[in-house]
Amino acid sequence: MHFFSQAFQYQHPWSHVVIGMWHKYPNPHCTHVVTVDVVDRTVDPRTGIIRTERVLGCKQKAPIWIVKLFGGSQDAFVREISFVDPSSQDVTITSVNLSLSQFATCFERIRYAPAAGGHTAFTQTAEIQARMALWRSAADRLENWLVQRFEQNAHLGKAGFSDVLRTMWEAKEQAAAAAQG
Amino acid sequence: MAHSLSPECTPLKHEYDSCFNTWFQGYLEPAVAASVDSETRSAYSKQKAEEFEQKCGKIWGQYRECVQKAVKEKGLGELLEQAREENPLKEPPQPPPEVEITQSSSSST
Repeated sequence: MHFFSQAFQYQHPWSHVVIGMWHKYPNPHCTHVVTVDVVDRTVDPRTGIIRTERVLGCKQKAPIWIVKLFGGSQDAFVREISFVDPSSQDVTITSVNLSLSQFATCFERIRYAPAAGGHTAFTQTAEIQARMALWRSAADRLENWLVQRFEQNAHLGKAGFSDVLRTMWEAKEQAAAAAQG
Repeated sequence: MAHSLSPECTPLKHEYDSCFNTWFQGYLEPAVAASVDSETRSAYSKQKAEEFEQKCGKIWGQYRECVQKAVKEKGLGELLEQAREENPLKEPPQPPPEVEITQSSSSST
């Protein structure tokens, strides 16, 4: 498991940052994000909290060995859930990768909160975890399969060589036995 | 505005995004101001939720239909369903512990 975190402040009021966050892409600094789609959005008529579920499409220049090993492509998709709570002036954004998620997950959480002086505090944490349990079970399955194949081949080898020896020697050995008897 | 994952949905997406952004810009600051007590907040939230539905509901329906189809065509339907099952995130997550770091850092265990 790897962790990442950073925190800093934007020199803009919270409401400006939160209105601005829907205008973040496309962005010349983040050209890896190429598509953004809202797949679900609700405005809670009681609390005023807005929940938005988006799918972001990224073009990652992944190392070629990753693309080959995991059969992925350079298109990667991310699921992002955000909550905008005006009453507590709190925004949380949670993201997790959809692509290659059977091998590893990158779980990111961002928060925007008001800070002193009309600024906005930004915090970001990420946990990156390879699904080792899954790798291990895949490795176990591979080993079991190899053992079975080996056993099968060992049986076949024994049967095959027995046949060869029988064909070569059976007649001669029977003749010798008959001569002795 | 960013493109949709399917070019055919992009015009609908742009129209929907514009609708939402216009609504949201008029919503946010009064919503903060309306949070003085839960009654004022509910009244304002209800009114603005209805207004959002009335203004953007139709284009949302069209865009959603298009994007749902695109999600399936890109082979993301199952991955998205799986992610939703694993982590529905229907409620705002608890605030994370305060991070007092001012510079980027990364660590591994």
